[in-house]
Amino acid sequence: MALLEVRDVDAGYGAGPNILKGLSLEVEAGKSYCIIGPNGAGKSTLLKVISGLLPTRAGEVTFRGVPFNGARPDQVLAAGICLVPQEQAVFAEMSVRENLVMGGYLVKDRGLIKTRMDRVFELFPILAERASLDAGKLSGGQQQMLTLGRALMIDPDILMLDEPSLGLAPQVADQIFATIRDLEDLGITIVMVEQNAVRGLQLADWGVVLDLGIVRFEGPADTILEDQRIRELYLGKAVDAGDAP
Amino acid sequence: MTEYLQVAIFGLLLGGVYALFASGLTLAFGVMRIVNLAHAVFIVASAYIAFFAFEHLGIDPLLSIVFIMPLMFVFGVGVYMALFSRIEGSARYVEMTVLLTFGIAIMIEGLLGWRFTGIFRQAAPGYLTEAFFIGDFLVPTGQFYAAMLSLVLLIGLWAFLRFTRTGYGIRATMQNRAAAQLVGVNVRRVSAISFGISAALAGASGAMMSYLFPFFPFRHWQWIALLLALVVLGGMGSLKGAVVGALILGVASSLVVDQIGPGWGPMVFYAALFVILLVRPRGLFGKEVTA
Repeated sequence: MALLEVRDVDAGYGAGPNILKGLSLEVEAGKSYCIIGPNGAGKSTLLKVISGLLPTRAGEVTFRGVPFNGARPDQVLAAGICLVPQEQAVFAEMSVRENLVMGGYLVKDRGLIKTRMDRVFELFPILAERASLDAGKLSGGQQQMLTLGRALMIDPDILMLDEPSLGLAPQVADQIFATIRDLEDLGITIVMVEQNAVRGLQLADWGVVLDLGIVRFEGPADTILEDQRIRELYLGKAVDAGDAP
Repeated sequence: MTEYLQVAIFGLLLGGVYALFASGLTLAFGVMRIVNLAHAVFIVASAYIAFFAFEHLGIDPLLSIVFIMPLMFVFGVGVYMALFSRIEGSARYVEMTVLLTFGIAIMIEGLLGWRFTGIFRQAAPGYLTEAFFIGDFLVPTGQFYAAMLSLVLLIGLWAFLRFTRTGYGIRATMQNRAAAQLVGVNVRRVSAISFGISAALAGASGAMMSYLFPFFPFRHWQWIALLLALVVLGGMGSLKGAVVGALILGVASSLVVDQIGPGWGPMVFYAALFVILLVRPRGLFGKEVTA
């Protein structure tokens, strides 16, 4: 049984048209997924639907076989699915440490919060150095590290990353990707939307190509990377140029 | 110089009370993006409760906060759940809160006018006309008590927001509502609690208003104008800003009243509102205004 299943889902914003049009996707435990596709394909919308930020108009989302359509974001998080959003969503007027405490908002055990915070500080030593600084004063890359570290405070079963390298300097993006690789090794299921499609697919086990609100192709990430048709349609010159964004 | 210092003391005492009056208003905007035009009528309604508790039961207005604050908290939570939670998803949520709170204000004002008429009321506890000296400076006892109680309540509010789990959730929601949802904050619950706290602060403010300022139902319009000026000066949604703004305008209005005349006091608030909107629309401690 799939850990997470999205079945025939329609979704959109306000009174606007459907962005997702009968989309179906299965996510298996312990695997990493990279979702690619052109702008407007519905990649971020899919993550918002799964995380409870956007309601479905039709279809069903199930986690461990239990439907959770209409669940609030905090209920989805409590179930074990955590979204790291596209924009650097730190609490600017809280310190780095307070941001991490907020990451463990649903965790009642203070000892556990301390243990997980120490693990985050091990992963991102720069955050330990700036633990008392207001998060709004961190650089863009450090804010992204903090957002990722904050997500780890809940110890999620599925970690969803929306454009984790967006707007980051290449060295910082490298560090973020290395951390994602570490998280994969820890057995956390990763669902990632990444504008640097080649880089994302190189990191993932499974690739999913979204276009016009439905899944056009999916398969092992290396197969997608090598597929001539997908390269022409969705990866463009990026493959030829190595891993350029 | 002594005269100016004396006036500044009056202004600081007044500003301390204004800070409490404005704190609930800025909390409601900061957490729930509610521009609560009914905040001052909540204060006036609470002033009536404190006034009649004093007149008929002999309960000191300042002690009456013990039951007025919980009562107003429950009222605030009820109002939020019954009215505001229904429009949370609206694309024009902030504009709708203005219209909705305007309607609530008119309704409560009408009820108060119908039940208690438009005559001025003011409780008269013994300390209202007392004063004491600190060095050469005269300190009115009633204003001193009110300012000290405001200080205690504001420190309590600060500690609650700073050190409790719910307080963390409220602060997170104030700073980044979407991110707060993503870390597991139930923003509807936090919003309802925050609106309850905002109403409870209005309740405490009303207890002070009952003896510090003569009041009648229609008076809330004058108060909401002053409080909005304080909150805009400090920065919409900033508690620190509301306190600093209140102290600044409290002292400034006292100086103007002393130098020019009592009729010019409120003018300071409107002038400050006008200037701050022209020069620094986000106020002293507010977030950057974006298009």
